[in-house]
Amino acid sequence: MNESREFLSLARRRALQLGLGTAGGLLVPGLFADLARAAEAPIGTWPAGVAGDSVFVGVTSPLTGPYSADGKDHVKGYELAFAEINEGGANAKAWGLKGKGVLGKQIKYGVADSELKPNVAVQAQTQFIQRDKAIMITGCVSSAEAVAVEELAQRDKVLNMVGASGANATTGHDCQRYGFRSQPSAYMACKALAPIVAQHYGRGKKVAYLVPDYNYGHSVFRSFAAFTKPYGWTTVAKVVIPLATSDYSSALLNIANSGADIFVNIEFAAQAVNSTKQGAQFGIFKKMQMIVPNISSFQGQETGPALMQGVFGTMDWYWKLEDRFPLSKRFVNAFRAKFRYTPAWGANIGYMQTYIWALAVERAGTFYPPAVIKTLEASKANPFDSTLGKVWYRAYDHQLIRPVPVVVANSAKQMKNKDDVFDIVDLVPGEQAISPPAFLGCKLGPYT
Amino acid sequence: MKLGRLVPEAVLTAVLLAAPFVLVHVGFSYDLLERILDWGLIGLGFDLLFGAAGLLSFGQAAFYGTGGFVAAWLLVGHHLASVWLALAAGTLAAGLVGLGVGALAVRRIGIYFTMITLAFCEMGFFLENSPLSAYTGGENGLPGVPVPQLGPWRLTSGLPIYWLLAVLFLAGFVLARRIRHSPFGAVLAAIKGNAARAGQAGHSVPGYKLAVFVIAALYAGLAGGLLGVIQSYMPPDAFSLDTSGQLVVQTIIGGVGTLIGPMVGATVWLWLRDNLQMIPHVGALWKLILGLIFVVLVVALKRGIAGELRHLFTHRRRAAAEAGVPEESTDGAPMPLAAPDLPLRAPLVATRADAPALRAIGVSKFYGGLHAVEDVSFQVRPGAIHAVIGPNGAGKSTLFKMLSEEIAPTAGRVELFGRPITGLGVTRATQLGIGKSNQLNQLFLDLSVTENIRLAALARARGRFRTDLWRGADSIPAVERQVALATATVGLTHRAAVPVQVLPYGEKRRLEIGIALATGANVLLLDEPLAGMSPAERVATRALVREIARGRTVLIVEHDMDAIFELAECITVLYEGRKLAEGTPEEIQRNQAVQDAYLGGLHEHEPA
Amino acid sequence: MPSTALLLSQAFNGLALGTLLALVASGLTIILGTLGVLNFAHGALFMLGAYAMYVVMAHTGSWLLGLLAGGVFMLVVGVALERVLVRLFYQRPHEDQILVTFGAGIVIVEAVRAYFGGNTKSVPTPSWGQGIVRLGFLFYPTYRLELIGIVAALLFALYLVLYRTSIGLVVRAGIEDARMVGVLGINVRRAFLAVFALGVLAAGAAGMLYAPIVSVQPDMGGSFLVEAFVVIVIGGLGSYPGAVVGGLIAGEIVSLTSAFNTAYSEVMLYAVMALLLVLRPQGLFGSEGRV
Repeated sequence: MNESREFLSLARRRALQLGLGTAGGLLVPGLFADLARAAEAPIGTWPAGVAGDSVFVGVTSPLTGPYSADGKDHVKGYELAFAEINEGGANAKAWGLKGKGVLGKQIKYGVADSELKPNVAVQAQTQFIQRDKAIMITGCVSSAEAVAVEELAQRDKVLNMVGASGANATTGHDCQRYGFRSQPSAYMACKALAPIVAQHYGRGKKVAYLVPDYNYGHSVFRSFAAFTKPYGWTTVAKVVIPLATSDYSSALLNIANSGADIFVNIEFAAQAVNSTKQGAQFGIFKKMQMIVPNISSFQGQETGPALMQGVFGTMDWYWKLEDRFPLSKRFVNAFRAKFRYTPAWGANIGYMQTYIWALAVERAGTFYPPAVIKTLEASKANPFDSTLGKVWYRAYDHQLIRPVPVVVANSAKQMKNKDDVFDIVDLVPGEQAISPPAFLGCKLGPYT
Repeated sequence: MKLGRLVPEAVLTAVLLAAPFVLVHVGFSYDLLERILDWGLIGLGFDLLFGAAGLLSFGQAAFYGTGGFVAAWLLVGHHLASVWLALAAGTLAAGLVGLGVGALAVRRIGIYFTMITLAFCEMGFFLENSPLSAYTGGENGLPGVPVPQLGPWRLTSGLPIYWLLAVLFLAGFVLARRIRHSPFGAVLAAIKGNAARAGQAGHSVPGYKLAVFVIAALYAGLAGGLLGVIQSYMPPDAFSLDTSGQLVVQTIIGGVGTLIGPMVGATVWLWLRDNLQMIPHVGALWKLILGLIFVVLVVALKRGIAGELRHLFTHRRRAAAEAGVPEESTDGAPMPLAAPDLPLRAPLVATRADAPALRAIGVSKFYGGLHAVEDVSFQVRPGAIHAVIGPNGAGKSTLFKMLSEEIAPTAGRVELFGRPITGLGVTRATQLGIGKSNQLNQLFLDLSVTENIRLAALARARGRFRTDLWRGADSIPAVERQVALATATVGLTHRAAVPVQVLPYGEKRRLEIGIALATGANVLLLDEPLAGMSPAERVATRALVREIARGRTVLIVEHDMDAIFELAECITVLYEGRKLAEGTPEEIQRNQAVQDAYLGGLHEHEPA
Repeated sequence: MPSTALLLSQAFNGLALGTLLALVASGLTIILGTLGVLNFAHGALFMLGAYAMYVVMAHTGSWLLGLLAGGVFMLVVGVALERVLVRLFYQRPHEDQILVTFGAGIVIVEAVRAYFGGNTKSVPTPSWGQGIVRLGFLFYPTYRLELIGIVAALLFALYLVLYRTSIGLVVRAGIEDARMVGVLGINVRRAFLAVFALGVLAAGAAGMLYAPIVSVQPDMGGSFLVEAFVVIVIGGLGSYPGAVVGGLIAGEIVSLTSAFNTAYSEVMLYAVMALLLVLRPQGLFGSEGRV
């Protein structure tokens, strides 16, 4: 437990330091105006997309299907950010934006249902690019959508702030110059989580994995197995399940028969809830402790404290960070006022990314995509203050370097109200969790 | 080819040229137009399969995905540098998968066929996602598909790719339209209308079904490859069941059997999807609305959008052709021409000079405990008119079906000019020179008289199977002469262009004989040719039988004893499945056993 | 190589999956065999059954009431579907029948999505089904265990209806020879209506029973429809024993393959189907004439 406490205090100290640093680094005004760049060759939707007094942002998100709860929350984050930025009120000022809109231009946007299908997401975003001259495209709740839209962004040279995507490939093998990802990669999440669960459960545990058969699932499995190996944890069952499985009985029998102490459930959202409930029916939790490396937005509430209590995992963001970061506090309050519920991390991704993009545009002083990209890539020297404190994009692979919240679920007794589902165990600094530069095999494409 | 026949091609070219400049103003991006054409391209193949041949497949996604992923894998993995070659390889791979799936699926009837194609589609989805994910990227698909290079031009996204799609779609359309109007396409139409008769006329039904299945798979494969090129990304959803389902819905909405229908349907689907979504509260209902439209179209037998348009233009011509056809046969039907020698005849291959034209050796057919035909032997002299008679239930039609190889005998065998034909099946038997007109009309009701007869003549001219996709169905001079002569022989020249379903009954009966005649058969089996005819028609048809018996052997089943005794030189009598007697008309009339067997049953004309 | 205990567990689980598939497939097959209609809406009706159970359980918490009310509801849906739509199609080509039921399936799925939303619903396990039963080496959820019995009872009831009543006579005669049905002098229209409603009820019942196990959402029926097709291809077109045996075989294939590699379980099901199509195209219980 000592080690864990040390992490915690370290994180607190860092957060404090970062918080204090906020005031200084923010307001570097853009040096160029779009007019000054008239000499640049047109690229993507620039300058056609910035000719009027507004710019268009294309948002796709799964509004139907098993990830739709996360997807709808995700879209609300965008909507709140767009409204705040267009209004130019106190929150926009607190983030460091000037005036109304971005560089004085209002943000217009379109939202399309991706149906969790990458093809549909690409189709919708292409429409936004070609029909509406979208200057930025964003949003998703799966790595398949993320990778597909990133590819489109690179081809059409339109900036893509990737939505919710945890697979390593998003900033690894399939990374793109025009794509930026804010969510921790599976690598980061597992690297942050592994020492804490090893500390909690002890060394030499036998682990069974429920792995959904897609890129993200395999990413998490590899990363988690690798980072728990130093603690003597071994894999006794890796049960890979076909996509869209709804009856887990045969998979769960394999896990029940594996003799494992730990059950790592990599399923996501509704499928995570469903597999957990069926797992309980098969008596899995009488023998094993569940760990969920990446806990989806509403998994805690939907599964219920009876099954979730004591489950460790990571999240992109949790509302209790309002105690640590003022911008989180502002976000939670504004979101509750507008949508009458407490935002989950899907909403934070939409909200935070929109602000970071707007800040980068204002810093660059132009919507010209290569200039915005270079500004984001140079953000290490001048981090953005955000709902997660000081954050910056790594130039090498466009992964956001940000703290990783490690959480544990409360029991029903521990919960003070219905939103009190998790406690933040630790906030692992991004620099500590990040992969070595060449590790995930990212090769960014050209700027133009 | 007349210039007027190229109107659809010309209109389509104009539409494709204008679309990117006109439709962008009503919410169509270039990308959307490319996707519409991509759907349209799978649709061309699907419409040949379903619209032309009547085979409803829910498996097109499997070929779409195969073509797409093979092409994408070759390009993304740097196994091939040329996008064109990769597209060709993907198309070919889809064709090969189509060949494999088709071989298992096409021998089954409609329901089974649809189920099997659907199951293989789902199998493709799971294969893509799990066992083959190392090659396909699994759920992530394959990003990074390059765009093609055409000489000095890179066909980048937007207009250049649109032109590529437009050219390929136009080429695909021209080819598909040629196929529809080729002899091959004529056989497909026949299979859709009446597969059993198409096989009986001498066409290899499984062969044509498999061929059109592969053609549809090739179209789907090319479209799949292009999908990757359009969006620089090959998505796993290409394999999903939804893709197959969407294609079916688009085809029905756009108009089945019109070739451009699927493309029109895709336009409606994609446009509605994009634009309804933007309307609050209605947005989520776009698929429900399309679903309801779809059901209404199916229920009301409507033709779909393109089908309605075509109907508008062809309605008058068709109505003119149908005008003047009486509800019932007129008395004194036109007398047939003297039976001419048809230009296309089955080769006369006798194993020995004195071989009988047709010989049954101990044939039997048992259905469980029911002995429909038992140990019947007889032979037919070349050039004779030979009759088979017997009371109802004697097994005459069953015997005929065994003689023509429509059903396999439980025991015994049949020889045609000394050559055993048992076990060959009806198609091969027909090709060897045996033809049959059926007791119950087996016509292609949606086709014209000429097209019905041409179907039979084509089988003689082209053999069991041939993929002559490019020539016109009516471009074989010998076939056209055969059609004209056979039509004239059965006295239907004045009805040549009339759709068969509006013909009066008596004329349908004569057409039934005309089809059998046009197969160029040397031995013609006529199963109750006079059934249901008026007295005047009977007289005419008797004359017809006598005429066509010149120069070919005729075997006839008939209840009209006057006709039999007048026409036949030899009569075989069946009773309760067995041969009761055989001889000249005089011998049979005198035969006591025959008279006993017929007591009470002889003059009843109810169907057997 | 998996342990014997695991293989036995999976074999047992295959029985559970198999009985359910048998129930879904038997509904499909009696409609197919009697009316000659391949009901593409079958998956949507399965889903509708699950939603019926969800609604009743959410309001009353009573599983039994859910089953009864859901059963009545499914019969009403079946009667309405037959009267309004399917009846018009008995004389039309098979392809039209497939298209119209496919369209009806889309409408049902989208109507449910429009009304209930696209999110997953969860149905609680009834109180008597909670907990785990120990069967020697195997721990098995109580509800799933009871489900095997319930589904077996339903399949037996269906057997009684098919083989001990006049409707059953029509069904079986229809499977043998559709023309014979007319000769039997039974009110064919009414019998057809009953058969269709019975088939819909079987799909709905499977959905109701399965609702507490899986997450209920509008697209849940799609995979069941396809698997029911596979069962019918394996068992033989229109054969009730074929549907039951085919269902059990399919359940075992999925479950036993899972013991080795779960990811291949679905693929293996289709591979076996393809193999059977080569070796015995008419299916295990099908007759040659009907393929």
